Amino acid sequence: MTFIADVLLLTAAAFVLISLAVVYRLVRGPTMQDRVIAVNVIGSNIVVIIALIAAANDDPSALDIAIVYALLNFLMSIAISKFTVERGGVL
Amino acid sequence: MTPREIAIAALAVGGVFFAVVAAVGVIRLPDLYTRSHSASKSDTLGAGMALAAVALTFGADISTVKTVLLLLFMFITNPTAAHAITRAAAEEGIEPWTRDDEEVDE
Amino acid sequence: MTEARILVPVRESSTLRNTVAYAADRAIEALESHRPAIHFVYPVAQRVRENGLPDEADELLDRVDAWIAEDLGDHAGDVEVETAFVGRNEYLFNPGDYADVLRRYATRNDIDTVLLDPEFNPLGMTPLLPPLEHELERAGFEVEVAPVERPTRRFPIVRRAGLGQFVVLFCWSFGFYLLIGGSLSTFDLATGALSGLIVASLLWRISLSGFANVPRLLARIARMAVYAPFLLWEIAKANLQIAYVVLHPDLPIDPEMVEFDAAVWSELPATVLANSITLTPGTLTVDVSRRHFTVHALTTDTRDDLLGGTLERAVRFVFYGRSAARIASPAERSASAEAADADRTESAEPTDGENE
Repeated sequence: MTFIADVLLLTAAAFVLISLAVVYRLVRGPTMQDRVIAVNVIGSNIVVIIALIAAANDDPSALDIAIVYALLNFLMSIAISKFTVERGGVL
Repeated sequence: MTPREIAIAALAVGGVFFAVVAAVGVIRLPDLYTRSHSASKSDTLGAGMALAAVALTFGADISTVKTVLLLLFMFITNPTAAHAITRAAAEEGIEPWTRDDEEVDE
Repeated sequence: MTEARILVPVRESSTLRNTVAYAADRAIEALESHRPAIHFVYPVAQRVRENGLPDEADELLDRVDAWIAEDLGDHAGDVEVETAFVGRNEYLFNPGDYADVLRRYATRNDIDTVLLDPEFNPLGMTPLLPPLEHELERAGFEVEVAPVERPTRRFPIVRRAGLGQFVVLFCWSFGFYLLIGGSLSTFDLATGALSGLIVASLLWRISLSGFANVPRLLARIARMAVYAPFLLWEIAKANLQIAYVVLHPDLPIDPEMVEFDAAVWSELPATVLANSITLTPGTLTVDVSRRHFTVHALTTDTRDDLLGGTLERAVRFVFYGRSAARIASPAERSASAEAADADRTESAEPTDGENE
């Protein structure tokens, strides 16, 4: 089990680094939508990180958090897209 | 190493690879439409592979079902989110970047 | 030329009712000096056969007729009211096309003012009004957007639904609750049933459209099982391609927007197709309005693939069975549309020589 746990934790670490790299786009922009894309990517990476850590520590309850996070991440993208458009109506 | 361990490691490596591609794409591509390509596709696959690794780790269990649900959910929502974002952008009148813009841009 | 011949293009919209009322007011105001006329025209976006007009078009014009009669009240006899279809012999793709058919109609009927419904937008999400306004003004018409209030919601999300939807939704949420909860204890069953009830009673009129047809659903699921591996394969290809493009030092991309009309006919297939397009080789669905897809393609190859129609065909196979998979690809369809010949839905072969 330890080998698998190590692999999963290393993967999680890699995902953290990747998310940090994407923060560049988040800061840089230039448009609101670029930032939303960046946040969306970081968000899905965080979902993966939570799931990986849950698996590495054999702690299934964290998966529920991941599911809720995924839902919120999706809602965030949709809500922002909807409200950046003047009259709403996206989706 | 058991075959299961090899599969998990392979999926994890694949997941990291595609997540890296997604990140490089988001940072490097010229406009938000193209960035959204890399965000929606590569990131979905990267996350999908990593989650598949997680599902394999849990083995036959309710957690596996949850992980698979999460995976499916991301496969459905990521393209939808990308679509909503680009649609919002298109509606705001942001023009897509084309080859011709290159000289002007940089 | 008088000031009181008004053209109103109509489409189903949340402000149409008020626009009609405004048109009536304008006509009544003008009564003193002229005999006013109001023409309501319904631009038909696709080429249609004789008698093949969409029912909703007829219905809409009937409704408009009734509304205007109501609004004109006693003056109904003094105002000339016409309803008509325009553009039934061509495809209307962009604001220019719409401006064209409206201009032609207006010239034929000696009309000088175009009154636009602020929510008039058959193109879906692509903004139509500003360019349309501009084009019409350039053609010498007086253009006015009806000053009516826009409600924030564009179309009703509540639909007719029966007990079937309620039960399906309840079972669905209940099952999901138990699945996530991972236990079948009395407590979980009770809270799950309660949550399922709440969800179902709140959303039963929103979440599902139409009545569930179990055999067809099963057939779809079976075909979906065939589709999924194909889609996965396409996704894998897409990602390797993106990886190559993104990691290549020269960034060999040539992005461009493509628009086409997909031959899928309802919401779910359109959704599946849109998401599949987004997940597969270098293409990203930007906008869908009913059947009109706007797709951003990353490279030239991916553009050709998309118009080749493999994916579209696969989606049709899932939802309508094998026979529907044989319909021509978007590229062939647009070629035949240009030739103004072959019939889109009924001929499997988009060759010429099929005059109606």
